[in-house]
Amino acid sequence: MNVVYNALVYGVWFIATFYVVTLTLVMLTDKKRLHEKKEWKFKTNPRVTVLVPAYNEEHKIKYTIDSLRKIKYDNIEIIVINDGSKDKTSAVVNACIKGDKRFKFIDRQNNKGKAASLNDGIAESTGEFIATMDADSIVEPGMFQKVLPYFHDKKVGAVTVSVLVKKPKTLLHKIFELEYVIGLSLYLKVFSFMDAVFVTPGPFSVYRKTVLDEIKGFDPGNITEDLEIAYRLQKKHYKIENCMDAKVYTILPPTFRQVCVQRKRWYSGAILTVKKHRSMLLNSKYGIFGYVIFLNYMLIFLGLTLFGISLFLAGKRIVNNIGYYSYTGIPLMEWLRHYQFDVLSFSGIAILGWIAILFTLATLIIGLTVSRTDMRRKKTGAIGFMLLFFLYQLFWIIAIAAVIRGRKIKWR
Amino acid sequence: MALKKRIFVISFLITVLLFSAVLLLGKYLDDSRKTYVNEQMQIINDLNELQVYALMTDVYGDKMACVAFSKKLEEWDKSLWTLGSKLETYRVATEEFQKDPFYLEQKKKFNENEVLYLMFLTKVRKDCDLNQDIISFFYQNSADCKKCDDQSYILTDIKLELEGNVSIFSFDGDLELQNTQILMDYYGITQYPCIVVNEEKFCGIQDKKFIISKLRNKG
Repeated sequence: MNVVYNALVYGVWFIATFYVVTLTLVMLTDKKRLHEKKEWKFKTNPRVTVLVPAYNEEHKIKYTIDSLRKIKYDNIEIIVINDGSKDKTSAVVNACIKGDKRFKFIDRQNNKGKAASLNDGIAESTGEFIATMDADSIVEPGMFQKVLPYFHDKKVGAVTVSVLVKKPKTLLHKIFELEYVIGLSLYLKVFSFMDAVFVTPGPFSVYRKTVLDEIKGFDPGNITEDLEIAYRLQKKHYKIENCMDAKVYTILPPTFRQVCVQRKRWYSGAILTVKKHRSMLLNSKYGIFGYVIFLNYMLIFLGLTLFGISLFLAGKRIVNNIGYYSYTGIPLMEWLRHYQFDVLSFSGIAILGWIAILFTLATLIIGLTVSRTDMRRKKTGAIGFMLLFFLYQLFWIIAIAAVIRGRKIKWR
Repeated sequence: MALKKRIFVISFLITVLLFSAVLLLGKYLDDSRKTYVNEQMQIINDLNELQVYALMTDVYGDKMACVAFSKKLEEWDKSLWTLGSKLETYRVATEEFQKDPFYLEQKKKFNENEVLYLMFLTKVRKDCDLNQDIISFFYQNSADCKKCDDQSYILTDIKLELEGNVSIFSFDGDLELQNTQILMDYYGITQYPCIVVNEEKFCGIQDKKFIISKLRNKG
């Protein structure tokens, strides 16, 4: 057990370090391109359709529609699709779009799922480019001026933007705010440098309509349609670009329980997507993408195994200590009185652990700096950032359990 | 694509470099631990002073010698305890993949020294009427003796609480050292864990309250 555990720690450390160093190097090599502004070469403004599928969003959709009304782009149509909501979404949407001819409303009574809703929207659309947007997100007014020039390259099938958190208040939200800045903004850009973007985030992404038609839209059988479609775009060798300076703000679920439900959907969807497209793993036909995905999921799997064993060992130790304390009580004062810092008592694994923590913090600081994020207001989140590692394990365990049980997971 | 390949190669080299640096740091710490243990072992191996004091008490029965002796024993007790604890901590920190024979060897030497100090302390306690509690702890590895770890924890707790008022000596039965075996025969120890508190033997696990009740200095 000892040998296996230690070999696993060293192995995971090596792979994770290689992964992070590679991403950092790619980022720093192409640093100038992080905030690049593409030139507008369209002779006339191409038509854009924004699709907003909604299910039970009566409290948030008003803000989404308000932000869309402020979009500074003239050749636009916005299609809101009510996916059989049981609340007052339909009434709220009707009230919000009243008198605005740019909006269309598909008000369905039956619930078909997000991907099917998007496909219905695509069928109704007239745009050359299709933007998909979640009904809990808020978009910038100048979004399309920044995003559409990426499509001058005919190989580009989709463009993602920076997904950021709208007004984080709780500690959990502040931690996720940083996760979004790094994972759903900066690293999406870095992955685009490697042609290895593996998600076109639901809060806001733009697709070329002809490409969507070619790949027959979104997969209605998949609960993470934004992830699954990215795999199919990569399969067809379309580029997925990222415009980091175009921002969409998403409203996070308010409670931890709801966050767990959301992550369960994301991660179990990810498992099912990888299972579906497993032929892409380590397949040189798809360039770096197949290797990046493999590395990603291998790290997740090894990390989970490591976490499981660590949890078992920690649990065993706690049980032993409880046994000891039953004889003596918890000798807290004695520990404090006799504690002496001794660097020689650090094992190789302890050194790896401390270096990993320093790396994570360094990655966070580099990430926030190059993404031009104001760090002064992110201190609370940064302090709790290390908690993400534990949260990820929890979310993955929940998701794996859901997949194993074969329980049907809905998109909300 | 060529640039990307170059980046992967550079990343790999950087990772190997970092990994090697960590391994080297680990090796440096291993060596430092061994140097520390060797140095400390050297200190407790130095018996000249002890022998002089012992002779002084034998020849002169001098009270001054007893005072000096008891003071010196206090120092040695502390050194022994610290070294004993460090030996275990450093062994755990070092042995990630395989058992290091260095620590087994040091433990044997340490146990031999413990027997020696136990003898000196017992003698001085009698000769100088020293008010010092002595506990000898006989144990085996935790796989064969489930309660030995518990007893060890309780004794550590007592030592941390009472500090210099009590001297605790731990003897590993698995090492099969001759002088430890003589002690075990003398006290009639046939099972683990067993403790001898001021010459009184108690086998099986003993709780903190009971052990303290048997001490002269109760903290």
